Amino acid sequence: MLVSVVLENIRKIFPPNVVALDNISLEIGSSEFFVTLGPSGSGKTTLLRIIAGLERPTKGRVIIGDKVVVDAEKRIFVEPGERNIGMVFQNWALYPHMSVYDNIAFPLRIKKLPKQEIDRRVKEVAEALGIRELLNRKPSQISGGQQQRVAVARALVKQPDVLLLDEPFSNLDARIRVTAREFVREIQKTLGITTILVTHDQADAFAVGDRIMVLRDGEIQQVGTARQLYDEPVNLFVANFIGNPPMNIIKLIPAHPVIKALNLEDIVPKDDSLVYLGIRPDEAIATVEIDNAHIVGKTRIIEYVGARKYVKVEVEHGFSIKVLAGENVTENQKVGVLVRKVHVFNSKGARIESIVY
Amino acid sequence: MMRGPIKWLIVNVIAWIVGVLWIMPFVGIFMTSIRPFKEIVHGWWVFEEFHPTFSKYFEALFHPSYPLWRGLINSFIIVIPSTIIPLILAALAAYAFARFSFPIKNYLFLTMLFMMTVPQQMMIIPIFFMLHNMKLLNTYLGLILVHSSWGIPWITFFLRNYFTMLPTELEEAALVDGASYRQIFWRIVFPVALPGIVSAAVLQFAWVWNDFFFALMLIYDPKRMVATQILPLLKGQYHIDWGLLSAGSVMVMTVPVMVYALLHRYYVKGFTAWAIKK
Amino acid sequence: MGAMRLEKLSFLLPALLLIFIMVIYPILATILLSFNIDIVVGAKVSDKPPSLENYFKAFSSKELLNWKGVETGTFPMGALIHNALWVAIHLPITTMLGLLLAVLLQNVKGASIIRSLIFLGMVVPMIVGGLLIAFSFDKDIGIVNFLLNTLGLKMFVKTWTTYPDTALFALILGSVWLWTGFSVVTYSAGLASIPKEIIEAALIDGAKFRTILFKIIIPLLKPVTVAVVAMTIIWDLKIFDIVYVATRGGPGGASMVLSILMWDYFARVTDYTMSATIATILTFIILPIAIIWVKLVMRGR
Repeated sequence: MLVSVVLENIRKIFPPNVVALDNISLEIGSSEFFVTLGPSGSGKTTLLRIIAGLERPTKGRVIIGDKVVVDAEKRIFVEPGERNIGMVFQNWALYPHMSVYDNIAFPLRIKKLPKQEIDRRVKEVAEALGIRELLNRKPSQISGGQQQRVAVARALVKQPDVLLLDEPFSNLDARIRVTAREFVREIQKTLGITTILVTHDQADAFAVGDRIMVLRDGEIQQVGTARQLYDEPVNLFVANFIGNPPMNIIKLIPAHPVIKALNLEDIVPKDDSLVYLGIRPDEAIATVEIDNAHIVGKTRIIEYVGARKYVKVEVEHGFSIKVLAGENVTENQKVGVLVRKVHVFNSKGARIESIVY
Repeated sequence: MMRGPIKWLIVNVIAWIVGVLWIMPFVGIFMTSIRPFKEIVHGWWVFEEFHPTFSKYFEALFHPSYPLWRGLINSFIIVIPSTIIPLILAALAAYAFARFSFPIKNYLFLTMLFMMTVPQQMMIIPIFFMLHNMKLLNTYLGLILVHSSWGIPWITFFLRNYFTMLPTELEEAALVDGASYRQIFWRIVFPVALPGIVSAAVLQFAWVWNDFFFALMLIYDPKRMVATQILPLLKGQYHIDWGLLSAGSVMVMTVPVMVYALLHRYYVKGFTAWAIKK
Repeated sequence: MGAMRLEKLSFLLPALLLIFIMVIYPILATILLSFNIDIVVGAKVSDKPPSLENYFKAFSSKELLNWKGVETGTFPMGALIHNALWVAIHLPITTMLGLLLAVLLQNVKGASIIRSLIFLGMVVPMIVGGLLIAFSFDKDIGIVNFLLNTLGLKMFVKTWTTYPDTALFALILGSVWLWTGFSVVTYSAGLASIPKEIIEAALIDGAKFRTILFKIIIPLLKPVTVAVVAMTIIWDLKIFDIVYVATRGGPGGASMVLSILMWDYFARVTDYTMSATIATILTFIILPIAIIWVKLVMRGR
């Protein structure tokens, strides 16, 4: 079944007065791959557990499909086992004393399905996830990546309406992460199952999510596609959190010469004491041609991220930024920085406008 | 902390001497059980003559008034249910204490802790009369009931500590899979917590086997007496037949010693759990 | 929702039911019996009016407190004094011995075997323990007397358990032999949990063994010590089997202890309310130690 998930005014307070989630409302469309992204302590796992029924909200309600599964005010609570959800836990939570087969079969056995049906479904799911040969083994005898597949199999075998994933890639080696991400995304697209994934890693979020929600200290910062978050971050937090290497944030007074150099005088609010400029390293380049550059400076350290070459430039106005290194750029060299895009934020951190050159 | 090989040697020698000296009484009682009395009249360590015999063992086992073979069987009849019953009931309760929240939970737990310190003498008088009233005095069932009830507080305490150390993820996964708490307990928690449960079982087994006071108070018929009860009866009023007593003692203590030898790990883990909080 | 509650209840109920009927209720009933109040269901244990008479009787009886014996330093001195002596002698010896042995065994080859040998006394039934004590202190075939003889202490050679001036001491020393295994094993586990680096740091700082023992190890082992002390005191106060089989509390009450006294009132004298009184007195002596132990346990939560 293709269902949507709706959260209305979810609030969660842990005693004595720790606000884990503050007024979260959102609508996740059916078959959507939705990612909740945030640093630790942002409340993202708490939100997932509320949807699963492992935590109860202090206020608000959750609707899966057309069924209200929890309503704090009306005291409605549907047990996790009755919500028809599948969940993959951070440490997989595979039952160590059971074989892979028994692990996957467990939810079906609880439902008391006939033996043949169970067998058919288990083998079907195992085949689809490429773990058919592992069915007789115990969790301790298979690798981390395989364990994750078993956890996913167990979640999917009962054909749930919603799939929940709690930091599913954080326990994997960097190598396997990439394949794991692709694998999860493929499964999701093939099955079309509404999926909610929680992570602190923006690369995970970008790789799999149709839409991403950024959470901070229990509050929604922004919800949008990866592109939207990258190109139009709503505030400094989102701007800094998304993107690798992180965006350069420069704190300036409105009358600063760099503002003029970038033709931003009309955009910058006059009555504000401070303004922040955000320049992504990928959206500026240091070249040996100084004449056409927006900013002039001296290069310090060269750094490689993947196949790209970056350089830290000490600008003559007293700050440094990391930008792409153009051809023939070396260390301790006078360069000109050509800015392609800049984001302007007010003193409170909210984005005013983004200018492309 | 060892400075110098000589010091190390001295320490090792002392330690081993201590160890050997420490079990001397056990060696003595074993020797006394297999050697005819005239050989050990001046001490079992005298080895002028050495003609070991197991006659005392047979004498103890088939004693005319208090045969030990019956005592040993009775002990088993009592011990096995008295281990299984409280283990199951206490494990369930321990799980509730570990995972559920309910009113007066802390007060209940506190009460259990205190019950573990109370001496057996404190509950036996009313129990005696209650059992008499229910016609359970001098019966296996009566003694088993008493042992089971007595075991529940400490086993609950012990297993509750054990359960709280298990990660909750497995149980949460089972909850999402639709399992009821009963199913979660028997299919997931019990198997995974098996080492702790075996520790509790081993200790309870040893404790019930070794018990004397409850049996003394609640069983009179020599046909139903347990092994520990039979032993003092083998001690003569005026003349103590040490050979007989030794043989009887060796047989009675063999069972818990075997359990200790085979399940050593669980035994010690159980004991130290009292004092060391991990 | 209701089904869940019922299910959770079913986890607790059987155990709680059994405990309430067979443990809590009897304990309460015993306390009341000591005041002559009979709440035992279906039996007439006491038909005397409620009063404190049992307590007066108990504390003025020389089975419990024999002041004459205390003054002259001869046994019997009364069960209360005997139990107190037991704690006073047994506790320090077994605790310090246990710690010393645990430390000694840290670097010994085959330490776990030695520990097992010492621990054996805890594994056997206490009836056997009592027999072993009586056996070891026997004039002719007991190794204690053999050792005394070889050490030239012939005046102490006799069957200790049959003489009033030595019966109790034989039992107490025997209990040290039986129970030290507990403190050795517990302290060993405690020592294992002290990170080696702390000791090594102290060694580098130039500390000698004695300093390390007293300034570092013992303070760090304080919770273990509290637990060992508490359990030992409680054990000493509860002691029954050993005394029963070795001396039956004799000769002439010289090794009488509270639990034996309780049993004596019940089985021989058939004075059930007095028996309940002794049991209650025993329990209330244990109570302060129990509170300390419970506090220790609860603190870990």
